[in-house]
Amino acid sequence: MTAIGIRAAPTDAAECARILADASRDRRTVRVVGGMTKSYIGDAGDIDTEVHTSELTGIVDHVPADLTVTVAGGTRIADLADALARAGQFLPLDPPHAEHATIGGVIASNSNGFWRARYGGVRDLLIGTRIALPDGTVVRSGGRVVKNVAGYDLNKLITGSFGTLGVIVEATLKVLPLPTASDGVVARFARGTDAFATAGAIARAASRPETVVVERTARDDWRLIATARGAPAAVARATADARREINARGGNAAIGGDELAELRELPAHATDGALVRVALPIAAQSAFADTAARLEGFATLVADAASGVLRVHVRGDDDAVTRAAEALLLAARVVGGGGRVERRAEHLRARLVASPTRTNGEQLMRRIKGAFDPAGILEPGRSP
Amino acid sequence: MRGLVDLLGPSKVLGARADLVVYEYDGAVDTATPDAVVLPESTADVSALARFCHEHAVPIVPRGAGTGLSGGAIPVEGGVVVSFARMARIIEIDAANLRAVVQPGVINLHLSTAAAPYGLHFVPDPSSQKACTLGGNVAENSGGPHTLAYGVTTNHVTGLEIVLSDGEVVRLGGKAVEDEGYDLVGTFVGSEGTLGLVTEITVRLVPLPEDKRTLMAAFETMDAASETVSAIIAAGIVPGAIEMMDQLATEAVEAAVHAGYPLDAGAILLVEVDGPRDGLDDLRQRIESICREHGARSIRIAATTLERERLWAGRKGAFAAMGRLSPDYYVQDGVIPRTRLPEILRVVREAGERHHLRIANVFHAGDGNLHPLILFDLRDGPEELERAKAAGLEILTACVEAGGSLTGEHGIGMEKNCYMPLQFAAQDLAAMRRVKDAFDPAGLMNPGKVFPTPSRCREFALAAAR
Repeated sequence: MTAIGIRAAPTDAAECARILADASRDRRTVRVVGGMTKSYIGDAGDIDTEVHTSELTGIVDHVPADLTVTVAGGTRIADLADALARAGQFLPLDPPHAEHATIGGVIASNSNGFWRARYGGVRDLLIGTRIALPDGTVVRSGGRVVKNVAGYDLNKLITGSFGTLGVIVEATLKVLPLPTASDGVVARFARGTDAFATAGAIARAASRPETVVVERTARDDWRLIATARGAPAAVARATADARREINARGGNAAIGGDELAELRELPAHATDGALVRVALPIAAQSAFADTAARLEGFATLVADAASGVLRVHVRGDDDAVTRAAEALLLAARVVGGGGRVERRAEHLRARLVASPTRTNGEQLMRRIKGAFDPAGILEPGRSP
Repeated sequence: MRGLVDLLGPSKVLGARADLVVYEYDGAVDTATPDAVVLPESTADVSALARFCHEHAVPIVPRGAGTGLSGGAIPVEGGVVVSFARMARIIEIDAANLRAVVQPGVINLHLSTAAAPYGLHFVPDPSSQKACTLGGNVAENSGGPHTLAYGVTTNHVTGLEIVLSDGEVVRLGGKAVEDEGYDLVGTFVGSEGTLGLVTEITVRLVPLPEDKRTLMAAFETMDAASETVSAIIAAGIVPGAIEMMDQLATEAVEAAVHAGYPLDAGAILLVEVDGPRDGLDDLRQRIESICREHGARSIRIAATTLERERLWAGRKGAFAAMGRLSPDYYVQDGVIPRTRLPEILRVVREAGERHHLRIANVFHAGDGNLHPLILFDLRDGPEELERAKAAGLEILTACVEAGGSLTGEHGIGMEKNCYMPLQFAAQDLAAMRRVKDAFDPAGLMNPGKVFPTPSRCREFALAAAR
C-alpha cells in the first residue's frame, strides 16, 4: 500500500469539485472521508488523495413547518440531531456509529438502522443533494420539496454509491416531529422460528412499532426487542399488541431497557472474524437465521426483522470464518436476497472479498460509473 | 411495419390509420401519431421488439393506460408505441413477504383490490387509479393524495425487470428491501420511459390502516386554509392526506359528484388521519380545533365509510368534473415548500387574471403539490392553448423560484421538457444525460421527453432570453 499523498479538506463545493477535477486530470485515486467510521467497508485499493468533508459542515436551512432540513455533507449526524431536537424534530434515521458518522457518509454507505420499516431508509428520506463530480462540476438533484419528479432521481443513485460517483457536499432530508412517548418490550424464545414469527406479527400490526429486532447470541436462546414511539395512546397500544403476540407464541415478555444501542453498534464492535450483512425477503429470515446459528464460528446474529436486514458475526480460525461467510452469502442468494461481507479482520481482507457474488445489473452499473468518473479515480476498490 | 408483423405476428401489431389515431393522445394536451403500435404479450416479445427497433433505429414509446398528464406516451418523434395492455397479470401476491409481483399493464386499483383479502394494499393512489397502470406509475413515479405520510411509487418498488433499448433483459432488485450495488431500481423509477421498458414490477404491499378519520373543513379564503395546513404540520401531526380545493373546483365537483361540499366556501380542506384506532379520535379533535382556530366556518366529519368515500369521490373526480366548467383544461403540477402556499396561490390567481383565464385549484396541500387547472376553450382558437400555457409557465416559474419543482407527480414528458432549464443548470442536466446514455446509448427510448430538445425548445429559449 502506498502512502496517501494528499489530504485535502475543501471548504466549499466548488473547491471540492476542483480537487476531483485535478485528481482526474492527474489520474490520482481518491477516497472521500467523512467521520472515518466505516473505513472497514469494501475492498479499499490504493488511494493517492483523501478528500475530507470536515470543513463542509453545518445546517444550511431548516424550516420546521416544511419538515425538511438541508445540511452540509460533512455534518455529523449527532450535531444534526441536536439542532433538530431544539426545534422539536428528529431525523428518523438511526444508523450505527451515529456519534461520529457524517450525513454524507451515511448516505454514501446507505447506512440504515432499525427504523427503516417505520420511517423509510436513507433513500426514502433523502429528497435533495448537491454532488461534486470528477469533471469539476457541482450538480443538484431533487430539491427542498417532499414530492418531486422533475428529471432523474440522482439522489437514489448516490445513496449507497460509497464515494464511487461523486462527493455529497449537501443533502436535504425529510424530518419529523419528535414523538412524545416511547416504550418497549423484550422477550426470550427457545426457537428462532417463534422469535421471527412473533417479530413478523408485531411488525405488521396496525399499531406500527418503531423497531422490531431479533438477536441470537452464542447462548442458546433468541431475544426479541420491540419498541414504539409516538402519541401516548398509540405507544400503549403498540406495546400491548407486542406483548400479546409474544405471549401467544410462548415468549417471556419483560419491560425493555436500552438494548438497541448495543445491537445497533454491532458493526463497530465486530473487529475480528467477519461480519456478514444481508437483505432478505422478510419471510426468509427465520430459516436463514437457523442456518446461520448452526455454522461453525457463529457468534452473533442481529436482525432488523421488520425490514429483513440481518448481520451475522462469525469468528474463530480463518478457514472457518471464510467458509461461514461464503455460506451465508450463498444462502442469502438462494432465498432471493443479497449481501456482502461488511467487515472482516484486517488480515482477512485479501482472502475474503467484500462482494464475492455477482450483482444484478452489473454491466449497467459499470457504464454509469464510467460515465460519471471516466478516469476511474473515485474509490476504485469499491467501484462496480 | 412488415418486419414487425413478421417478427411478432399480425395479432400483436397495429398499423392501420384508424387504429393508430387511438394512440395519438394521452391525458395531457399534446398529440402525435405513431408509425405502428405493438401489443406485446411477454418479456420475450418486448425484447424482440426492442432488438428490432435497435437494428432499424426506430424510437420506442411505452404506453400504459394513456392517463398521463405530461405527454409521456406521445410518440413526438414517431416510432413504435408499445402498449402493455396484454401484459396485465398479477403474477403473485406474496403476503408473507409483503410484496406483489405484477406485469406492467396491471391497473393500480386492481392490485389493491387483489391484496385486500390479505389486509394489504398498494399505497400510491393517483386519482386515475381506476384506469392507470403500474407500469405507468413506475415510469412517472406517481403519487396521489395518500402519499403524504406513506411515500410515492419509488418508495414502494423493490424490484424491476427491464428491457433495454438494445433488447437486453435486466433484473434489478427483488423482494428484499435493497440489493447490492447502485440503486438502479430507484434510478429507473420516474424516468418516464426514457431508460428502458418495464416488463415486471415487484412492489411493497402495506397493511391497511386499522381505522381512519376523515374531515372536511370549509374556510372563507384560500389563505386561511393554507395557514391551517401549516399549523397542522407544525403541531406535529402528519396526516395521511391533506387536500385543498377552491371555490371554482368545488362548484364543478358538486355539479358532477354531489360529494356534499359547501358551494359558498372560499376553500375547503379534506384531512384524513389513519393508523391504530387508539388515539385517532384525539388526533381528529386536535385537527378540528386547529381548523376552528384558523377560522373554519364549518367542519364535517365522515361518520361512515360511505360518507368518507363520498368525500373522496369528490376529490378524485375533480379533474373529470372540470368538463362542467370548460371544454378544455391545462393542469399544472408544480411543487413548493408547504409554508409558501399562500404566496404562490396568489401568484396563481394573478396569472389567471392577467391572461383572462379561469383557474381552479385542487391539490395536495400537505406536500405542497399544486394542481392549478387552467380552463380554456379551444373552440375560440388555437391561441387559447398558448395563453393557458403562458399562464402555466408563470405559475411554474414562481414554484421553482420558491425553491420548488416543475412537477410533483405528473412528470416532465414533452410538456415541460423545455422548462427544465428553469429548475436545473446545464451541469445538472448533463449528469442526468450520463445516466440516460448508460441505459440507452442509442437514444431510442421515448425521445423528446424529459430533456430539452434543440428543435422544439428553441422558441422557448428565445422567449426566455427576451
